[in-house]
Amino acid sequence: MTLHSPPIQATAAPRPAAAVRPSPWLGLALLIALLAAPYVLGNYYLHAIIVSMIFLLPAHGLNLIVGYTGMLSLAQGAFFGIGAYASALLAMHFGTPFFVNFTFAGLVTGLIALPLGIPALRLRTYSFVMCTLGFVIIAEAVAKNWIGLTRGDMGLSGIPQPLLAIGDLGTKVTTITGYYYLYLFVAVAMTGLFYALIVSPAGRCMVAIRDNETLAESQGISTWSYKLLVFTISAAFAGFGGSLYAHYLTTVSPLTFQMYYSTTILVIVLGGGAGTVRGVVVGSILFVALSEALRVTPEFRMIFYGLVLLVLVFWQPKGLAPLLDRGLALLGLVRR
Amino acid sequence: MGELLLEQVVNGIVAGSVYALVAAGMTMIFGVLRAINFAHGEYYMLGTFSAWWVISRLDMPYVASILLAVAITMAIAAVIGRFVMQRLVTAPFQSGVLATLGLSLILQNSVILTFGGTYKVFPGGWLEPVEFLDMSFAQQRIVIVAATIAVFVALEFVVRRTRMGKSIRAVSQNTECCAVNGIDVERVVLGTFVLGTGLAALSGVLTGPINVSIYGGMGEAITLKTFAVIVMGGMGNVRGTLFAGWILGIAESLVAGYVGLQYRDAVGFVILIAMLMFRPQGFFSVQARF
Repeated sequence: MTLHSPPIQATAAPRPAAAVRPSPWLGLALLIALLAAPYVLGNYYLHAIIVSMIFLLPAHGLNLIVGYTGMLSLAQGAFFGIGAYASALLAMHFGTPFFVNFTFAGLVTGLIALPLGIPALRLRTYSFVMCTLGFVIIAEAVAKNWIGLTRGDMGLSGIPQPLLAIGDLGTKVTTITGYYYLYLFVAVAMTGLFYALIVSPAGRCMVAIRDNETLAESQGISTWSYKLLVFTISAAFAGFGGSLYAHYLTTVSPLTFQMYYSTTILVIVLGGGAGTVRGVVVGSILFVALSEALRVTPEFRMIFYGLVLLVLVFWQPKGLAPLLDRGLALLGLVRR
Repeated sequence: MGELLLEQVVNGIVAGSVYALVAAGMTMIFGVLRAINFAHGEYYMLGTFSAWWVISRLDMPYVASILLAVAITMAIAAVIGRFVMQRLVTAPFQSGVLATLGLSLILQNSVILTFGGTYKVFPGGWLEPVEFLDMSFAQQRIVIVAATIAVFVALEFVVRRTRMGKSIRAVSQNTECCAVNGIDVERVVLGTFVLGTGLAALSGVLTGPINVSIYGGMGEAITLKTFAVIVMGGMGNVRGTLFAGWILGIAESLVAGYVGLQYRDAVGFVILIAMLMFRPQGFFSVQARF
């Protein structure tokens, strides 16, 4: 049905992204630079990049909600924490390999998000924002009080480091370089998966919903199912990110549900440029890796995030993506 | 058992009055701006911290600190209102959420940077116990409830009778019509914002003495609870806010007493989500306002 519907042109908002595409060589150059990074950068800088890759996955998820269907959600922090707990508990109780934990974290989070999305998505604008914020608070209360499972405020510590196993052969990732390559692989693979999703027919339907929900519905797109799908997939991405977080820090506690995480994810997506993949990748490097590398104190970082949000609202509503594109065009690195 | 219940209800009313005072401002700001103020709890925090600063650094008495703290907070709010809130009049709802979220981060962390992140003790207030219905309460608690009722009576008068109140109600109903009819919408927005933050600051000063400790992040929890109160009261409905605040306060107090203290902070959000699902117009409004 949707495959044969005519392309929908936005009337109000001009279609972002599509017109400008960074040259594929640029992606390749970035990948080579990232692969070579451990030979050039010290451990602390690798740590900074690892943290930004952890945040990249929930940011992709939020980007799907904000950038591709036009809703605003603060629930990413809740799903991030749930994914971290799920992955940690599985690994601690069953000693399963990393990719099993990782997949499990995403699936569990998605399955939890599905029934939550059904009532939440009936709400609009402010109500949806407040409701998603409610999920974070309730998830935190559950993590604090379901002591049998989560050990309450003490949190889970001693989470196994990632175990890579094929059959009987297994190796544990323990060095920072090992973490770096593992997480780089995951981040690149998930970014590729995300990209494949948004250029698929389903992704085009999501863009249609963002641009004009009524028109999309009249074209036979089941907007309700797509929104639920988006909410679930975005939660799963947050869960994947949570899994990376749990196995990197090896501790998880109710502090994982602090507003800090939801806010950081929001700043990455909106600051980078909602609705673009490259914007979110650049956003996670700029807002997380850079502040981590420069050892900015948390207070200054939050003040900076606050200023970023104000700048976004009043001067740069599309985030960094347009600036990025202009910069790339100047360098001749754009394919039209 | 009966006495315990009564005590919890009374404590709930005290806590609820605090929420109602903060929420009254937020619901009025929502009315004129159609924006949820995610930074509203920060003005409550600013009120407490200004009073703490006035008492401990300037050696002033508590009564003076009430007035000064409200004035300081309103002055800060006037600047923010001029440069941020006024610009949100015509902006889409996302802008309101993001801008106020940004303000909340800036205010909260600036206070932590200025005064340090440690917990502080509030050095003032009337803490003499008073006997009331066979129970003893700190005087401060009675002051809070009395002040809240007085403020709501005054607000009712302002909103219904004065020119300012009438323009606030008019802007809540239709911004464009007001602009056409010569009401300065931006001025009304600024006035409402400063008044609303002043109420939050007043609530902060009054609760300072009975808060166990004060710290820069204390506003966040209040902001979140206030959401539940304004939705219960009906968004933009000032009168409903008082009763909604009491309902939340009593519900929290009962849950803390009979279910467990640790569940207290989740009560507001369970109520919030249930309200949004089943009765988005609130308990006290006939019609959904958003």
